[in-house]
Amino acid sequence: MSSLYLVFKNLTRSKLRLFLTLFATFIAFMVYGTLTAFQMALNAGVELSADDRLIVVNKIHFTQSLPISHFNKVKSVEGVDAVTHLNWFGGYYQDPQKLFTMMAVDPESFLDVYDDYVLTPAEAEAWLKNRQGLIAGESVARTFGWKVGDRIPINSNIFSQRDGSTVWDFDVVAIYRGKDEQSDSNSVYFHYKYFNETQSFGGNFIGWMGVRTTSPDKNEQVVNAIDDLFANTPAETDTMPEVAFNKAFIEQIGNIGLILTSVVVAAFFIILVIVGNSMVLSIRERTNEIGVMKTLGFTSPAIFRMVLAESVAIAMIGGLLGLLAARGLIHLISNAPIQLPPLIMDGTSVFKAILIMLALGLITGIVPAVNALRLNIVTALSRS
Amino acid sequence: MGSLLSQIWTVIVMNIRSLPKRLWMSLAAVFAVSVVVAVLLSFLAMANGFEQTLAGTGSEKIGIISRKGSRSELNSTVSRDNINILATAPGIARDADNNPVYSAELYVIVNGIKRTTQTEVNLPLRGISLGGFELRDTVEIVAGRQFEPGRNELIVGQGVLAEFDGFELGREVRFGKTTWKVVGVFSTGGSAFESELWADALTVQTQFQRGTTFQTMRVLLEEPGNIEGIKQLAEDDPRMNLDVETEAAYFAEQGSALRGIVVFGWGLSIVMALGALAGALNTMYTSVASRGTEIATLRAIGFSNMSAFFGTLAESIVLSIIGGIVGALVSYLFLDGVTASTLGASFSQVVFDFQMSPQLFKNGIILALIIGLVGGVFPAWRAARLPVTLAFKNSM
Repeated sequence: MSSLYLVFKNLTRSKLRLFLTLFATFIAFMVYGTLTAFQMALNAGVELSADDRLIVVNKIHFTQSLPISHFNKVKSVEGVDAVTHLNWFGGYYQDPQKLFTMMAVDPESFLDVYDDYVLTPAEAEAWLKNRQGLIAGESVARTFGWKVGDRIPINSNIFSQRDGSTVWDFDVVAIYRGKDEQSDSNSVYFHYKYFNETQSFGGNFIGWMGVRTTSPDKNEQVVNAIDDLFANTPAETDTMPEVAFNKAFIEQIGNIGLILTSVVVAAFFIILVIVGNSMVLSIRERTNEIGVMKTLGFTSPAIFRMVLAESVAIAMIGGLLGLLAARGLIHLISNAPIQLPPLIMDGTSVFKAILIMLALGLITGIVPAVNALRLNIVTALSRS
Repeated sequence: MGSLLSQIWTVIVMNIRSLPKRLWMSLAAVFAVSVVVAVLLSFLAMANGFEQTLAGTGSEKIGIISRKGSRSELNSTVSRDNINILATAPGIARDADNNPVYSAELYVIVNGIKRTTQTEVNLPLRGISLGGFELRDTVEIVAGRQFEPGRNELIVGQGVLAEFDGFELGREVRFGKTTWKVVGVFSTGGSAFESELWADALTVQTQFQRGTTFQTMRVLLEEPGNIEGIKQLAEDDPRMNLDVETEAAYFAEQGSALRGIVVFGWGLSIVMALGALAGALNTMYTSVASRGTEIATLRAIGFSNMSAFFGTLAESIVLSIIGGIVGALVSYLFLDGVTASTLGASFSQVVFDFQMSPQLFKNGIILALIIGLVGGVFPAWRAARLPVTLAFKNSM
């Protein structure tokens, strides 16, 4: 008890220094918390991929289309539980700079294969019935201020209608939430039939297909069956697990993970040096006092522990406050009208942060603690 | 006045020369500032390199015609009919036989393998006619030969060879059911075209089942930058729904795609600079505390408190500027010229180099200077107000 009091007294001895070291730690953990959330959001597409889902794309490249007849053929492949098809629309609302993911789908089979979208049965029903209806994710709806019942014009940067216009009118019939906190809610889905009947390129092509297999064990068999089915046809396919597709896609952007990790490491290095140095200094200033304490009968290990407790306390207090601030920041960013994947801070990242705090506290405290441990009473008292 | 300046100068020199006594604290401050500056400059150099690559790609002498609102070549379509009409537009330069110089092009995406990660990436395959080479005067075949029209032959940009596997000279490449042969390597002087594969436009049209449509039309302008004649023609014809702009304007817009990175880099660096500022303040307060007796003694023998103030401030600024220079040098040595690639506006890989510039360097030093100024001014204020009596106190 009394040694805890001493630790507290030592900590608050120089309030200014305490504040500065806490602040540096605070900043580093705020950076950590926020960037980790970004990193997790980037990986969410991979993490949340269902392991019983496959993607079927054109073998040349996934931007090349497939004939719709492929869809009917895949339906009857053994091991396929459900299949749906999607077309990228290149949609934008008012500002061509603000593209969002917009896809023409077959609603019934889409909701069957992709069960990550939370809609009430009434909402699903409303969508199925309204050919000009679209469903929008919470995030994209918030960005553009869409409400259920709105009639909105959306442009395509790829397609045009038969009359040359690039604008389509839609009814917002539902705003969906993701099943998981991290599920994407930046996308918009609408009827393939509406798309196919109105666009001028000539119809009956699809972008790619989503397949749900009866069980993940069947994946390999289904992959081979589908690709064999279309081998030597004008549109050969490449079938792969959803997770592989999403992972490859994220990696195309570049090694963002490496960039974010480097920044976090850099931030930690800064505080390691700043806090470590000021710990060394503050213990050196107390040389005399430590001599006195040893004279009074405090054992060297007790003093060693007290110094470490001091440095760990700084790391923990500064770190936890930083995480709290990161949480606030994440909340602010998530509710801003900009399109970002959902940012969250989960238990694992908090746990990791606490481990890092402990490690930082121990590393910054170890040199002065060893110095204090070794300190000889005579030298301590004679050094003034 | 002159004596005040010389006093200040004396104290500054004294402080700087006594820095080694406070070596570790001073190094901590230098280090913190250098890390912040290095982080900032890395982000800025990345965005700058990307922007410069795309800016260097577009030419004022070339006009580019695409579907209205498509914003990238990939999304655009232009019909053969439209191209035939536009070829007659005023303002297009003509060759020796008095034919307009233009190129109808296709832009499709195929798979490549990124060398560093061994993962599949999007690479652009441009279908180009021989007119397209007349337009682009910077193109040079550096190895192998030109493709022959009508054959499944490819020439690849130098950037593709550097960053991606599978397109070495002489190699056969399969796109779906069709097989292509790499017959040449081209250079365009470091522009984004070097991230592309080129083949004969009509061959691409058949092999990728594009019917008679193209994606963009490029024209050589009679007068650089002047697209008015073509624009007029496109607007007056109700059958056409097309955008006309100079290639320079088109690529400049694509180059701004990494602007977000600049904002992110600045935001992050400023937050981290606050952490470094805490370090600088800590260092400087410690420095003032350890020089307390010295400062008071100087005051006692007639030095003004201004000299204590500026002496401390100068020490802080010197430390942070050293930090800034170290940070800038580190990012220059490790990152300048490093090649990277990312997904560009046309949904395909753009190869670019990190590029440092004097302007970016200046930004880094300014950030360091601000940390030094703010981190020095409060401790300096304390130094200026230290009581003279401190000089006569015996420190135990």
